[in-house]
Amino acid sequence: MIFSTNPWVWVAAILTLCIFSFLYKENPFYRFAEHLFVGISAGYGVAVYWNNAIVPNLFVPLFQQHNWWFIIPGLLGMMFFFRFNQKTGWLILIPMAVLLGTGSGMSLAPTIQTNILKQMQSALADATNLKLGGWGLIWGIVTLFGVITTLSYFFFSREQKGLLRVSANIGVWFIMIGFGASFGNTVMGRISLLIGRVQFLLTDWIHIIK
Amino acid sequence: MKILENLTKINRRYIFLMVAVAVIVPLIIPMNLPTIPGKYTIKLYDFIDKIPPQSQPVVIAADYSPSMMPELQPMLESIIRHCFAKKVRVIVLTLDPNGAALSEAALKKIAPEYDAVYGRDYAFLGFKPGSSIVMMSIGENIRQAFPADFYGKSLDSLPMMANVRNYADIPIVVSIAGSAITQSWIAYAGTRYHANVGSGCTAVSTADYYPFLQSGQLVGLLNGMKGASEYEYLNQKNGYSKAPRVAGKGMDAVSIVHLLLMAFIIIGNVGYLVARHNQSKKQGA
Amino acid sequence: MKRQIPLIIVLTLGIVFFIQFFIPSQISTNIYQTTLQWEIVISAFAIVLAIGSLINHHMLKIQRRKPHWWNSIVTLIAMLVMALLGILGRVEGMESLGQLYRTLFLYVQAPMDSAMFAILAFYMASAAYRAFRARSQEAALLLISGFIIMLGVVPFGSLLWSKIPDIAEWIMMVPNMAAKRGILFGVGLGMTATSLKIILGIERSWLGGGGK
Repeated sequence: MIFSTNPWVWVAAILTLCIFSFLYKENPFYRFAEHLFVGISAGYGVAVYWNNAIVPNLFVPLFQQHNWWFIIPGLLGMMFFFRFNQKTGWLILIPMAVLLGTGSGMSLAPTIQTNILKQMQSALADATNLKLGGWGLIWGIVTLFGVITTLSYFFFSREQKGLLRVSANIGVWFIMIGFGASFGNTVMGRISLLIGRVQFLLTDWIHIIK
Repeated sequence: MKILENLTKINRRYIFLMVAVAVIVPLIIPMNLPTIPGKYTIKLYDFIDKIPPQSQPVVIAADYSPSMMPELQPMLESIIRHCFAKKVRVIVLTLDPNGAALSEAALKKIAPEYDAVYGRDYAFLGFKPGSSIVMMSIGENIRQAFPADFYGKSLDSLPMMANVRNYADIPIVVSIAGSAITQSWIAYAGTRYHANVGSGCTAVSTADYYPFLQSGQLVGLLNGMKGASEYEYLNQKNGYSKAPRVAGKGMDAVSIVHLLLMAFIIIGNVGYLVARHNQSKKQGA
Repeated sequence: MKRQIPLIIVLTLGIVFFIQFFIPSQISTNIYQTTLQWEIVISAFAIVLAIGSLINHHMLKIQRRKPHWWNSIVTLIAMLVMALLGILGRVEGMESLGQLYRTLFLYVQAPMDSAMFAILAFYMASAAYRAFRARSQEAALLLISGFIIMLGVVPFGSLLWSKIPDIAEWIMMVPNMAAKRGILFGVGLGMTATSLKIILGIERSWLGGGGK
């Protein structure tokens, strides 16, 4: 076991262990690391926003290219500062309204196309495409059936009885299998994150693995 | 029967310890389990592999924070290595502020391995806020969202950007993300501007992206550490990379922890069924 | 007045940019492109809200000497130092500060962020052991599906039985996809309805105080 001679690796390893110490119970080391993390990441964010957005997308067009139209978004953005004064606090609703209005308007058509029309088209195509033949066609029909029954489970405009209830119950089976699939993958995801940290400790810090 | 019932009452700290051992041991003593690339990894790999060298650049959106690094950083590094080895130009950008430092670190590490030259073989555009707004901006003119690269140089000063205006000049956008932002790439870059979109996602969200794979809205998909490991494997198999397989090594540990967790769930359920059986017996008596 | 102006802005911009999608004329495209450029600037300032709230929260904690208040000093100093290093590091002649900023990200922020998420693996294992019970047919179905996927995604699965990865892929591509597609429809309809409600001023919670 040969420990790293890089002081920054030691800092990273000790902070990792401070966070892991929460597994035993909450303690001062964890609390210190947690607060340090919040501060560092907030400061990092401020600098990134400044360097990557405010300077190139506002200051450069405004002060170097003298594109004075950029005063408008600049002023709208500055309105967020009014949040910290009770009397003028309502003014932040204006930049928020601009972001919400444009965002909602621009997202409507792509959302309908992406989540609804394309998906519907694809579901119907696979269930009716005779060229797929055999199992391909059968699974296409099963999938379409699954989509319809899943949707029927979320249909609350009518009391779920009779055929709707049968359909909703079948829909639950599909949903449960889907959640099972998500669970199986989630397990892998969460373990991967732990593996990443352990790899760092064993490789970079104590050089057990190469 | 009593033993089975007691098995359901193991202290959680022993469970933590067992998980730690199951992760550490396979990392120290690798089992070198085989890697079999999945269908959607191969699809994404083949798509990038077929892009002509020195032609239009691939866009990689590294939209993730360090919390997702073990799954996504190996993906980013593998795709960059693949592109550099094939002389395919790369533009890396991010819509997550944390992604800026992570992707810059990856590029700085990998570029010297392949003698890739900044501005000729790759460009790093850094971070922009506004996610979907940025995606739509790129669809109009990439210079609107990114007038300059991460280092403040005008995009027009980078030779590889000369003929790049919008998605029409970009063969694929690979969204490497730990959030639902990939869906926005599909909606705005894919649906609105007809760009090809590929995904490298955390395993947590893989199941949610299957409808997009089947509808052809996603070209291919890398599933968490597994997908990263498969991409690393394909790179090595084709002689594109000699770097150690970080994700590949992790998959041994994933296998063991999965078996351990399944054992936990089975023990928990057997204990539960025994307890239920005993209870119904008592009630019957 | 305080509420009507924002509502009028949302209504106007919402309608204009919904219609713009279908009428890509030169004028509408120019307006669209300019707006996109401006929006990036406005979005960038939104960080003010997050940072302002964070500073407020920790200043109050320090002023009122709440338990562990000294940790709030750590947060505020760390934030200030990191922000200054990042901003000054771009100034010519002060590049070494920028280097320190990157180092702090890679060796302080990144390890802690990763470690916080890494501990979830332990809690997930413990929760699965304690709570994941086949109490009903539906729960059993979830359990079986989860087991097959867990085996199918790791190399061990194919060593146990070569068909396991195929079965896992079938689960992902047929029943899982059907369920997720159904949910996706719902999400799409929900997002569309919410956008319309915001544009038309029916959804007003963003105005604060429930829009009353």
